[in-house]
Amino acid sequence: MTQVNINVHQVTRVEGHGNIVLNARDGKIEELRWEVPESPRLFEVMLCGRYYVDAPIIASRICGICSISHTTASIQATEAAFGIQPSEQTILLRKLLFNAEMLESHILHILFLAAPDFLGVGSVFPLVETHKDVVLMALRLKKLAYNLAELLAGRKTHPISCMVGGFAKLPELSELKAIEARLEQALADLDATVELFKTLSIPDFTRETEYIALKDPKEYAFISGQIASTDAGIAPLDKYLEVTNEFCVPHSTAKFTKNKRDSYMVGALARFNNNHDQLLPRAETAAKELGLSAPCHNPFMITVAQLVESVHAVEDSINLVDQILARGLKEENNGVQVRAGRGIGAVEAPRGILFHDYTYDKNGTLTSANCIIPTNQNHNNIQKDMEGLVPIILGRPEDEIRHTLEMLVRAYDPCISCSAHLLNLSFK
Amino acid sequence: MLENSVLIVDDEPIVRESIRDWLRDAGYQVATAESGEEALEMIEKEDFSVMVLDIRLPGQTGIAVLKEVKAQRPWIKSIIITAYPSAETTTEAKKLGAIDYLIKPVAPDDLESLIQETLDSVGREPTVITAAEIRAKPPVVEVVEVKKSLVITKDGLKSIVESLVRETEVVGVKSRHGKYVYDRIATWEELCLDYDVTVMPPTKYLLPAKETLLKFKVGDEAQVEPMTEALPRAIIGVHPYDVKAIELLDEAFMATNPDPNYIARRQNTIIIAVDCLNPSPKSFAPSMDTRLTETGFDLLLTDIGDDYMVAVGSEKGAELLAKYAQAREPTGSEIVRQKAARDEALAKYKLSLNVAKERLPKLLEESYDDPYWESRTEACLSCASCVMVCPTCFCFDVHDEVSLSLKEGERSRQWDGCMLVDFAKVATGENFRHDKASRFRHRIFRKGKYIVERYGMVGCVGCGRCATACLADIASPLEAFNALAESAGLKEAATRKAMAVRPDTALYAPRPAELVKVDELTPKEKVFEFRFKDGKALGQRPGQFAEVSVMGIGESPISISSSPTKDGTFQLAIRNVGNVTNALHGLEKGAIVGVRGPFGNGFPLEALEGKDVLLIAGGIGLFPLRSLVQYVLDRRSSFGRAVLLFGARSPAERLFLDELAEWSRNPEIEFHETVDRGDDSWQGNVGVITTLIPKVDIDPRKTMAVVVGPPIMYRFVIGELKKKDIPDENIIMSLERRMKCGVGKCGHCQINGVYVCQEGPVFTLAQLRNLREAV
Amino acid sequence: MKPKVAFFDFTGCEGCQLDALNLDGEQVIDLLNAVDIVNFREVKTERDDDYDIAFIEGSITRESEIQRLQGIRDQAKVVVALGACACIGGINCLKNHVPMEEALRTVYGKDAKYYDTIPARPADAVVTVDYYVRGCPIDTAELLKVVKALLLGKKPDIPSHPVCVECKMAGNVCVFERGMTCLGPVTRAGCNAICVTSGRFCWGCRGLVDDPNIDSEKDILQKYGLTVEQAVERFKIYNTYAEVTK
Repeated sequence: MTQVNINVHQVTRVEGHGNIVLNARDGKIEELRWEVPESPRLFEVMLCGRYYVDAPIIASRICGICSISHTTASIQATEAAFGIQPSEQTILLRKLLFNAEMLESHILHILFLAAPDFLGVGSVFPLVETHKDVVLMALRLKKLAYNLAELLAGRKTHPISCMVGGFAKLPELSELKAIEARLEQALADLDATVELFKTLSIPDFTRETEYIALKDPKEYAFISGQIASTDAGIAPLDKYLEVTNEFCVPHSTAKFTKNKRDSYMVGALARFNNNHDQLLPRAETAAKELGLSAPCHNPFMITVAQLVESVHAVEDSINLVDQILARGLKEENNGVQVRAGRGIGAVEAPRGILFHDYTYDKNGTLTSANCIIPTNQNHNNIQKDMEGLVPIILGRPEDEIRHTLEMLVRAYDPCISCSAHLLNLSFK
Repeated sequence: MLENSVLIVDDEPIVRESIRDWLRDAGYQVATAESGEEALEMIEKEDFSVMVLDIRLPGQTGIAVLKEVKAQRPWIKSIIITAYPSAETTTEAKKLGAIDYLIKPVAPDDLESLIQETLDSVGREPTVITAAEIRAKPPVVEVVEVKKSLVITKDGLKSIVESLVRETEVVGVKSRHGKYVYDRIATWEELCLDYDVTVMPPTKYLLPAKETLLKFKVGDEAQVEPMTEALPRAIIGVHPYDVKAIELLDEAFMATNPDPNYIARRQNTIIIAVDCLNPSPKSFAPSMDTRLTETGFDLLLTDIGDDYMVAVGSEKGAELLAKYAQAREPTGSEIVRQKAARDEALAKYKLSLNVAKERLPKLLEESYDDPYWESRTEACLSCASCVMVCPTCFCFDVHDEVSLSLKEGERSRQWDGCMLVDFAKVATGENFRHDKASRFRHRIFRKGKYIVERYGMVGCVGCGRCATACLADIASPLEAFNALAESAGLKEAATRKAMAVRPDTALYAPRPAELVKVDELTPKEKVFEFRFKDGKALGQRPGQFAEVSVMGIGESPISISSSPTKDGTFQLAIRNVGNVTNALHGLEKGAIVGVRGPFGNGFPLEALEGKDVLLIAGGIGLFPLRSLVQYVLDRRSSFGRAVLLFGARSPAERLFLDELAEWSRNPEIEFHETVDRGDDSWQGNVGVITTLIPKVDIDPRKTMAVVVGPPIMYRFVIGELKKKDIPDENIIMSLERRMKCGVGKCGHCQINGVYVCQEGPVFTLAQLRNLREAV
Repeated sequence: MKPKVAFFDFTGCEGCQLDALNLDGEQVIDLLNAVDIVNFREVKTERDDDYDIAFIEGSITRESEIQRLQGIRDQAKVVVALGACACIGGINCLKNHVPMEEALRTVYGKDAKYYDTIPARPADAVVTVDYYVRGCPIDTAELLKVVKALLLGKKPDIPSHPVCVECKMAGNVCVFERGMTCLGPVTRAGCNAICVTSGRFCWGCRGLVDDPNIDSEKDILQKYGLTVEQAVERFKIYNTYAEVTK
């Protein structure tokens, strides 16, 4: 009788706390669970009753890695509720800021969290000895992303200058010009990363599922567009609840979601599958080099899709900086007229589509808030992927099974602590 | 001409009017003029016997007026009055025949008798009698009397600015968020020269928020390198009150212990000043004599419409004009327009002092215990915004930072302020100004009294920035002064003028000293023997202290425990109480530390010579006193009787056991010892140190008592000494405060107006009776 | 022997841990030369439960976390609280204003009993904390300062005065003069007034100074346009725990 008992308590090299439980006897699976015992942080409780000026500040703290995503979604939801249309200048700056986070988050995941698995070590620290250049390059890219965010918003983690209505402080054109040079250098660094990844062997596992992402006819969407699904076509933002369908799961503080199938995926691979023809040229080339083509149903390729998106983010940033330098920057009146209303802000956080749904009273105070986090939407897919993967690898040594399952979880780049929250709460 | 007609010429209404009233009461015919020009106009029409003339006037200076008067009506006798006498002006005035010189504030009796004497002496040769003590020394920044003004066009100024921008860093006044700030400018268009006041003063370019003093390396390649920054810079738009503030900083940082960092910046800064024609509603510059200035700038501009009147204040200024702008002589109407512009501006000021500024020091002294301080500071946030925006505040703190490798680092200084809670806190945790009221009082005293007395210059320039910055609305010194105002006859204290120019580049750089010996005295106290690496002696007087650095950790003041009569090495006895002392306690023989000093005044050996000395040490008070004991024993014949009393808390806490034994055997010194509480093996006296004093028979007429110990001990010991009728001047003590820079600049060690590192740490009881915070 | 350092995360957004690694290449190498990072779940798989210095990120919001933190305190020689959640409770404490059972029942229905949650609190409500690296998020430079001080054996030099000092040093125009209100006058400095310099105002994320004049600050906030409720709401965001215990 063969027994497999795997109990990974708090998977390492992921953001947040998640457990993998697998008990199998004689080739038969008795228990297989992806558990999220993360402490519920009750963000909707924290947001209700807040003045609109403070809402993005709180929302930002949902996540330390994707704080710019949450801040942007929060600002967009508020602007939608108040009927405010941001200026062209503001939109350019927001896109550029968003790219900074996309780059930083992806690089962190690709090189610090996922790559060690591919290079046979437990963390990035030993790589300082064996792959010093790679580590220095990764730090350089991270630093560039940080500095770009600092330039636009004062700080990368929990940004400061971006607010409802615009930006409280504008960068100097000379500083934008200086950072453009570093963005050019980053393209070279990313080319080197692509070369590195070509040498690594990505596990081969496919399971087709539904892929959901924002879609914008004008460009590869990060902060605009409507909800697109590979199964169901386009849906407007205000139908998001019908798309996500959150439900409770026992022993998990995070909710799960499903749409047309048992589960769906969001994130870099979902975006790629929906919008791959909108990638900028160098990103498109990178995808080809890396053997990534749509539709791709291998969750282990999420990391590769992130690398492609990193190239896209840098390329797009250079274009945006050029545009801003050409138009110049001028101080705008960021005055805000509050009113009662409801608004939905949706962005593609690095890990997937993120919704903030706010309702304000006439004084500009939040009466109700709902947030659907990307990783929330992936939990179910992780569960289903494990159910598809385990039978295939059950015969391998227990260590290898455990490691493969961990790598599967890591591939999703989950951001678990943001995903543990509660459903719609209304006060007053 | 009327026999007893007097013309009073002074631009300050209160001086003019008060002198006029006194003299009228005394029976004189008095007329007044508020400027040199007005005085000359009046003299054209009328004749006077005596002219009482302020040497500092707007527009035409006192000296210029004197010259003119001499030319027009040579028989008018002139009496000069001024707040700031100086050698040059005295000589000049003497040459022009001034009768006498009086320092403001002028006592009515003195003036009256002088006038009477003058009138009586009609016919005799005029002489000059200087009533003040003046030290003649060469000036710091070349003080060039403004000879005359020139005119340049606005384009001319634009050309100067644009040329400077090409040559050097240029900082000017710009608008930001609806206020005005000093910042780098790249184009003429960015300048806003008609501003009212800036948020932060231009002094931030001479004393930046943070600057590196030293770079250092530790370990095998240990070294210390003083750092100064000498980036050339021009500052454009400085108002006269800020010019006056810079003159104060010049005095504070250059006159004694010349600060190399300040000097490097100062000597590379061009100051282009601008008359303030749109005063801020919170400004009271006229009351502080800072509305106009004749010195302290390279160029001074007055906006007279299409052009600028420009006064040349230095060679550099003259150079700039010659190189970049066509300056020409002003026309008569332009001179009038300048006066009109200034007068118009004067009328716009909303606030003024209700008491003559010269009276402030005395007024404050008498208001020390006023309930105002407590009631005023209820809403104080101790946020020090008032300090940060103030052009005459310059206290700083010093910190070490190291790199992650821990091998190298920097020692830097940054702004600090007496209004912050921990400003007067020492390592043991005691805070000598722990409540808001005393901190606030100290700041106001600095502005109105201590700075004036120490540097002879105005302490508050009346810019109004603190009143604007204070969210609790309590900061304005004007409001404090006016609230405390009462009339009193005051004597102004001694004055000084900024002197030396050569920087002391090693002012903050510690010298390496090697630890040659360490002995443990108690578990918490050790005595360290050091020798400077270059072999030189420390050269201390007993009672002085040194600043000891462990680079990367910090620097700490330590009393010197050995006498200078011991050659080659010096000893520091140290208690382990904070970061630096803890690091020192971890050192072994051969370690290198940094030492600066010696600092402080030391025990007054000259006063002790030939006298009987009664030395009283409580606990670690023996650390500094030991150096005096050793000195007395080594120079035994210079002193009379020598008595040493030592008290420790317990036998285990006795210090320097070998020396204690030696002193008790030594016939040259009478040694008595006690412990507060004994133990099983202790055979000697038990009881607090005061119990030893009655047993000692001394002659109060020729005994000097020197007492060092914990604060609590002083009161009781002094009580016993007074019972023996020892006069206050013969009781000498050493006080502890937080000494940081050691050279009278950072401000942390202040007790009222006194810097413990300069005028202390040794004080007589007589002196301490006047220092309220010393209790 | 290099000191062994461990990072632990409780309930928080993990931004402070992330920012702890916001170093450039040279700094990472210097850091790894100076200390041994033996435990850092977010970044490495291997773990070692023998550590000297423990960094705690996140606040305590469940019973199990209390025990876990106490275990860490028993093991570590030095415990450093990292970020507002660990230092002062952070925004997690906002939920303390809502009765816990009600919130849980509304959301999880009959499953509510499975969720172990208690009012959020800072680390020093549970164990003795030796040093604090404050802010939301922390400033990496301040973390390095504390690490260096620990390596040198000296007390880290963290300011005890309000943010106003640093705001003036940065040359900022006071936000009260620009139509905004600010908690800077009662908030501990050390952040270089970054939020004001970036165009906003201070939300108080570094916690109050040792002896804040709260009454004066409330008066000032009202003088500049906030109602009493609005002033209290502003304080609540980061200083709920401080107020609740006062």
